[in-house]
Amino acid sequence: MEFKDYYDILGVSPDADSQSIKKAYRKKARQYHPDVSQHHNAEEKFKEASEAYEVLKDREKRAKYDALKQYGARGQDFNPPPGWDSENAFNEKYSTQFNKEFSDFFSHLYGGRAGSRDENPFESQYEFQHRGQDIEIDMPLFLEETLATTTKPISYHLDGKNKTLQVKIPAGTANGDRIRLKGQGGSGYAGAANGDLYLRIKWVPHPLFDVEYHDLILTLPLTPWEAALGTKVEIPTLRNNIQLSIPANSQTGQRLRIRGQGLKSKIGNGDLYAVLKVVMPASTNDTTMRLWQELAEAEKFDPRPDWRKAT
Amino acid sequence: MNNTPTLELTLTELCQATRLGSDTLIEIIEEGILEPTGSTPETWQFSNHTIAIAQKAARLHKDLEIDWPGIALAISLIEELEQQRDENQQLRQQLQRFTPHKP
Repeated sequence: MEFKDYYDILGVSPDADSQSIKKAYRKKARQYHPDVSQHHNAEEKFKEASEAYEVLKDREKRAKYDALKQYGARGQDFNPPPGWDSENAFNEKYSTQFNKEFSDFFSHLYGGRAGSRDENPFESQYEFQHRGQDIEIDMPLFLEETLATTTKPISYHLDGKNKTLQVKIPAGTANGDRIRLKGQGGSGYAGAANGDLYLRIKWVPHPLFDVEYHDLILTLPLTPWEAALGTKVEIPTLRNNIQLSIPANSQTGQRLRIRGQGLKSKIGNGDLYAVLKVVMPASTNDTTMRLWQELAEAEKFDPRPDWRKAT
Repeated sequence: MNNTPTLELTLTELCQATRLGSDTLIEIIEEGILEPTGSTPETWQFSNHTIAIAQKAARLHKDLEIDWPGIALAISLIEELEQQRDENQQLRQQLQRFTPHKP
């Protein structure tokens, strides 16, 4: 078992008073709260700080912890002194409200559950019954899969077993949507209801299309002469390939709308926009150079009129 | 087995799903953090999305000891921040498609 230095975690000295402990915890909590922070292991950092605060804010818990620290506990391998019993061995079956389990170290010292964290009147009516844990998992979804209602398998780990479900995903399901599967979470305890399973939809980034609300954006590279003369290009959509007419004298950044070829949504199909991007050839030969030269002499085009006005 | 997602919840179901008491939920609703359809608590209907917001509100209340008006503000700011991040990422990706690849 790893010994946790709670003072170190909160960044306070071992003789810190309760005010500075509270202040240090609040600061860490704001910094690492998983609902706010973008830090890559925010959740872990936040749990650590909560656990430390849980112990250090409580005079009795802190005294017990300090005594243990005195015992010379340091480093990775920590064994509590003989006769050092955990207060409550019954808590294994419980899960804390927000999936916020504390470390083994904490459980060993104070029992499995941080008692003061659960103040829910709804639950306290039932001393033994306990609703199963809710589980939230990310479900990757390809943009193509949002066009029609599909059934996808989802596998997850539950009560030490792998569980697989076939889940119906309605057409038009958006990024970040949550699908709730009632009763597919952790098992309830002593006859209480099972928890729920939440699938949070994460669109897989598409190699060709970007998404703006329900519209799709396709970057369409063109040669300078295609842009100048106009052309027909076969372009991909999420459904099939289509022919698109590029008008003469097209510009980089210009958007051509293809109606109804965007994503499906509750308010109808979005559109597809082809954003034109004029690309220069990587290398030129003598013939091309001569042609560019001719063009340069014939064309009086000024691409920087704004600069002249400004100076 | 085929699982069809549940779409709407009643107040009682929301209490169970979020493990929050109805008093707390009513406070959250009065602050405008959750917006059910229906006019009375008996006829309130909540969308699935509500559960996540209610849970987030409860977490912020408990973990950071923020009062409900503060949470209403925090949640709308977090929402805005998430939108900005998404948009930022979209624009970044689009920009990348537009910029020639460096050799």
